[in-house]
Amino acid sequence: QRFRFCGDLDCPDWVLAEISTLAKISSVKLKLICAQVLRDLLGENIEYEKILKLTSDAKLESGDVKATIAVLSFILSSAAKHNVDSESLSSELQQLGLPKEHASGLCRSYEEKQSSLQDSLRACSLRLSQLGSVCWRVDYTLSSSELQEVNEPLVHLTFNVKDRDRGRTTAVSMTLSSDKFRVLLAELKQAQTLMNTLL
Amino acid sequence: ALGELGQLALEQLRRGAAPRACEAAARKLNIDVDTIQHGVEGLAYLLTESSKLMISEIDFQDSIHVLGFSDELNKSLLQLYLDNRKEIRSILGELAPRLPSYHSLEWRLDVQLASRSLRQQIKPAVTMKLHLNQNEDQTAQVLQTDPATLLHLIQQLEQALGEMKTNHCRRIVRNMK
Repeated sequence: QRFRFCGDLDCPDWVLAEISTLAKISSVKLKLICAQVLRDLLGENIEYEKILKLTSDAKLESGDVKATIAVLSFILSSAAKHNVDSESLSSELQQLGLPKEHASGLCRSYEEKQSSLQDSLRACSLRLSQLGSVCWRVDYTLSSSELQEVNEPLVHLTFNVKDRDRGRTTAVSMTLSSDKFRVLLAELKQAQTLMNTLL
Repeated sequence: ALGELGQLALEQLRRGAAPRACEAAARKLNIDVDTIQHGVEGLAYLLTESSKLMISEIDFQDSIHVLGFSDELNKSLLQLYLDNRKEIRSILGELAPRLPSYHSLEWRLDVQLASRSLRQQIKPAVTMKLHLNQNEDQTAQVLQTDPATLLHLIQQLEQALGEMKTNHCRRIVRNMK
């Protein structure tokens, strides 16, 4: 059977198995645990002690607590990935055996944070490099060893390129004459116009 | 005395030489440190070679018989070998060189609409970043492909998976179990 929140594929076996663990927790506590998992997915710090306190009533072992966090992370991020609305998510989770109150609590948490989650996922999508900042300086060359009177303007450009994996910034520097710079600027403006037509 | 030396030899195999432990043993048994050191190394060598070749009990007993030790010592040596053979083999197994292994794959689908030289294009491309692990080193390879090549790649990988289901592979897997 195909599920939208799994990208129109079968639900993975481990998710199916952990849904019964989720049902052991009360629906109110499940909604609070969801809030914590959403914080983790959005890049804020997860408060593991709070989750341990919330699951202590259900008498879950430490392996089960981790499995609960894993299955909630999967459901919430996968639903956001495939742009599933909260009602469809609720009905699909109920089809998998999650009780109605649990499903609606989970989906209400999901609905509140759905667009932030999608923004965060968009931001960490594959990107080869990223421009951090641009620095420039205009000089005027008076003279050189080749020619006594040069009298030409010169632009120094430095692009600070961020490498997201290693967290490093590399500086790419170059010097351009005013003609070359004019050509560069014109080409970039054409690219910008094209980008604006798509927005 | 064999018990002490045996433990030292095993620790040496697990973690490398420990000169201080040897000195402590030398003081306790009232023997010269160098003798202890040689004894431990000899014992470690005996255990690794026997475990490496998976020698049977009889062959092990025959081999150490040549050394002329007492029967009791031979029995203790045999017991030491049999008890620790599995662990030594797993340590030896990890010493083999390893190729980079798959860690994860990120991908994105783009469409090129225009370039500096040509406007009004429609060129889809899939960009992938393959993350690999090699001995705790993480490397990444960036690859780009068009949809047709991607389909071909998928077909080849599915064929490779399908090989596991052929009779030839099934027979080999059955025999290895």
